[in-house]
Amino acid sequence: MKNLSGLDRVIHEPARLMLTALLSSIESADFLFLLKESGLTKGNLSVHLSRLEEAGYVQTEKTFRGKIPHTEYRLTPKGKSAFVQYRKSIGSIFNVKKA
Amino acid sequence: MNIQIDTVIKRTRAYWFVDGFTEMAAGGLFILLAGILLFGRNASQPSFPSWFLSVTGKIAVVKIFGILTAVLLLWWLKDHFTYPRTGFVRGNRVTATQVLILTRNVILFLLLPIFGLLAASLFIASADSVLSSMPIWFPVGLGLLWAVLLLLAGEWMGLRRFRLIGITILLTGIVIGIYQLAIGLPTFQVNPQQRILPPYVLESVNRTLASLSFLVLISGVILLISGLVTFLRYRKENPTPYAEDV
Repeated sequence: MKNLSGLDRVIHEPARLMLTALLSSIESADFLFLLKESGLTKGNLSVHLSRLEEAGYVQTEKTFRGKIPHTEYRLTPKGKSAFVQYRKSIGSIFNVKKA
Repeated sequence: MNIQIDTVIKRTRAYWFVDGFTEMAAGGLFILLAGILLFGRNASQPSFPSWFLSVTGKIAVVKIFGILTAVLLLWWLKDHFTYPRTGFVRGNRVTATQVLILTRNVILFLLLPIFGLLAASLFIASADSVLSSMPIWFPVGLGLLWAVLLLLAGEWMGLRRFRLIGITILLTGIVIGIYQLAIGLPTFQVNPQQRILPPYVLESVNRTLASLSFLVLISGVILLISGLVTFLRYRKENPTPYAEDV
């Protein structure tokens, strides 16, 4: 129970877990990539990205590619370490269950 | 929402290969290299050193310019075709330490066949046997090397088609090796006093090059087909560019 309560609730939400996992193995990705890969709606995706940004896990960079606005998202060092910690916590929960 | 974290991570790693362009470019480059090897393989006795240097030089030039051209072409294609459809991904920055570790591992990996050969030579009667059997172990060894690399890459990115390509290339190498064995190996006697290369070595070199040419050619065709199939599937799934509302 103690292990479960220690889980990061920002990442634990399935959609945000998916987004964090997507961003964890790359430098950055744009909105379209996250939209296509996560299967979320635009509105949902925006909300979850904002939530991750508020927590300091995701950093946004708005640029232009030609004349088209382009927004890139990347995990901050805090977000990366939170994701690593989350995976460890989940692992330890299952280890406890096995024992 | 069913999330397999590792699957998601692997899918992101494999994004560079989502459109099939890289495989098509690699396949094209392989076919070009095979062409040079096939048309340039005529290692005759008097011109052997100059011929060898010429072929090696051509291959080096094709590799450098081919890879540069392929990279530029890939950037352009992805910028105009892939990114507007399924989005842009910037890969992780590679640090100097990672480059050093990778270089060390690649060197060690490439040295493996040499160590293997040295170990094998302990059980083989003479160096002549090793030289005359080159047409067999070269394609098999190279096929094995590519297969291992492709299997590792396939595992890292969760790409099943890379595993299939690796196994197919290995099987191709084995089939070429078996074919070379079936038609018989050069068995001329070598005179240790003679300063020129004995004919059986030249025949062995020619046949090894022929084996490698076919292996590279078939690998190129496999990559090209795989890339084309991937591209067609990708285009079917993403027919038009996506417009992001701001």
